[in-house]
Amino acid sequence: MDRATDTGQEAPALETPFRAGTPAPVLFAAAWAVFVKDLRIELRTRYALNAMVLFAACTAVMVSIGTTFIGLRRTEEALLIQSSLLWVAFLFAAITGLSRGFVQEEEARTMAALRLAAPPVAVYLGKFLLNLALLALLGAITSLLFIVLVRVQVGSPLAFVALIGAGSLCLAAATTILAAIIARASFKSALFAVLAFPLLVPPLIIAIQGTALTLENGGFGPALGALQFLVAYSVATFVASLMLFRFVWEA
Amino acid sequence: MAVVERLGQVGKLLIGVWIASIAVAMFLVIPQYEGLGNAGRIVIMHVPTAWVSVLAFAVSALFSGLYLWKRRPEYDHYALAAAESGFLFTALATVTGMIFSQVVWGIYWNWDPRQTSIFVLLLIYAALFALRSAIDDPERRRQLSAVYSLFAFVTVPFLVFVAPRIADSTLHPNCAFIQGSTCDGITLEVGTIGLLGDRKVQLLALERQGDVVTAEVKVSEPGLTSETILRPSYDLAAGEMVARPEFPGLRYRLGLEAVDLRANTALLNIEAPGTGLLENRRTLFTFLASIGGFTALFFWLLTLRATLLDVQWTLAQRGGSRV
Repeated sequence: MDRATDTGQEAPALETPFRAGTPAPVLFAAAWAVFVKDLRIELRTRYALNAMVLFAACTAVMVSIGTTFIGLRRTEEALLIQSSLLWVAFLFAAITGLSRGFVQEEEARTMAALRLAAPPVAVYLGKFLLNLALLALLGAITSLLFIVLVRVQVGSPLAFVALIGAGSLCLAAATTILAAIIARASFKSALFAVLAFPLLVPPLIIAIQGTALTLENGGFGPALGALQFLVAYSVATFVASLMLFRFVWEA
Repeated sequence: MAVVERLGQVGKLLIGVWIASIAVAMFLVIPQYEGLGNAGRIVIMHVPTAWVSVLAFAVSALFSGLYLWKRRPEYDHYALAAAESGFLFTALATVTGMIFSQVVWGIYWNWDPRQTSIFVLLLIYAALFALRSAIDDPERRRQLSAVYSLFAFVTVPFLVFVAPRIADSTLHPNCAFIQGSTCDGITLEVGTIGLLGDRKVQLLALERQGDVVTAEVKVSEPGLTSETILRPSYDLAAGEMVARPEFPGLRYRLGLEAVDLRANTALLNIEAPGTGLLENRRTLFTFLASIGGFTALFFWLLTLRATLLDVQWTLAQRGGSRV
């Protein structure tokens, strides 16, 4: 590194072809292109997908082996336990795969090319969409595994789906920028979990309690507060990510 | 320059004397909380450290933002110094809180909302240090840790919304804290009216079912805007309160502490959150002095550590090696 940047009197002007004033349609087209590119890479290698689904399947099977003999009565506590186990499986499976989007760019040494090819916000949006797609799939698979193997009975299916969806949105919004951060550091996967967990405590508490409520036959009403919280959390972290991503990308 | 240094020396001494006198005042000046014994005094240290841990987090985020804006290494040094001293104070707040909790409630850890949030704060600090140690390039390290610090700062307020959801298990400053000192209660005969806190209460009836006596109490809001019927109950055999309903819209609970069925009277009491603790002047002033002292201590630590980091950085640059 040269001395001029170290003393930091003048921030070096980054020569990227994209400035703040990129028009929205161009931005979204670029974001979509990044998303499609990543999806194609992911479907070719299925690296993240395999790891995530196998992790979720392992957890569901372990929980199933451990709990189905007990014959839990459907008390409030039992529903909370079931929803905690579901979220444990979902969270840890998600953590194994969500950093893939950026780590893969770093490993394949394609970051510089991507930096030239797309504005930072478009890169962020593309990776965010990829993570969201992965999480939607993972959420569906984990829930099905739990319904089949752990005998989770969903009382209000629509509210349940909405809650898993809102939870996935939170996970994607909070962790995409962290994936970009850890891609530039050492011990990537361990660091990702360490950075993500403290930020995910509030939405996880709410998501676990909300999911337990949707397992009863109450419809949307009881879980509405949880849904609102999760959406608000997603919006806040998403906006913060959009504002901060530029600094991660040029670091 | 010499004047500033001299002032700094004097300030440092003043902080030392100030904190020392608070430690003395904590044991000698303020009265003992009834029912808590000397353990209650730890609050004078506990609350300021908790306050500083939150302040440090905000200061760290502020300097992180400044660093991203201006790109001056000094700002990053301040952000790191704030995080480091913040971590120290957070650890202190956690430990003093746990000691107090064990003494008063018999349990070290309860996932109380405040315990949850300080736990998350500890985790965030730890994550920040882990991130810093995992990046070799100094400039990248500064930039990425500044982003993480700001990003974490955005998510912390959501803990405030989580708190009411898990408040069922709260042990924090309710009346348990100050039961003896402020909540004396009021003895009413059936049909009579009394004042409990700022609420007018009327004992309408006492009903006995087995060993449990239930009182029917009409509670009026201040200004008599609305009225509610609450039914606290008392177990005669066990000699303890059973149901302690909450006042509408408040964290205060109404308890039935004793019943005399022959005289048809009942002792009603309010269980208030920890506000009454500071009604005592001496306690209040010691408490405020402690908050001021710890805040000053934090800023002193902050400038000291940041200056050290500056020096370290200058030396490293001169030597041509990396920090």
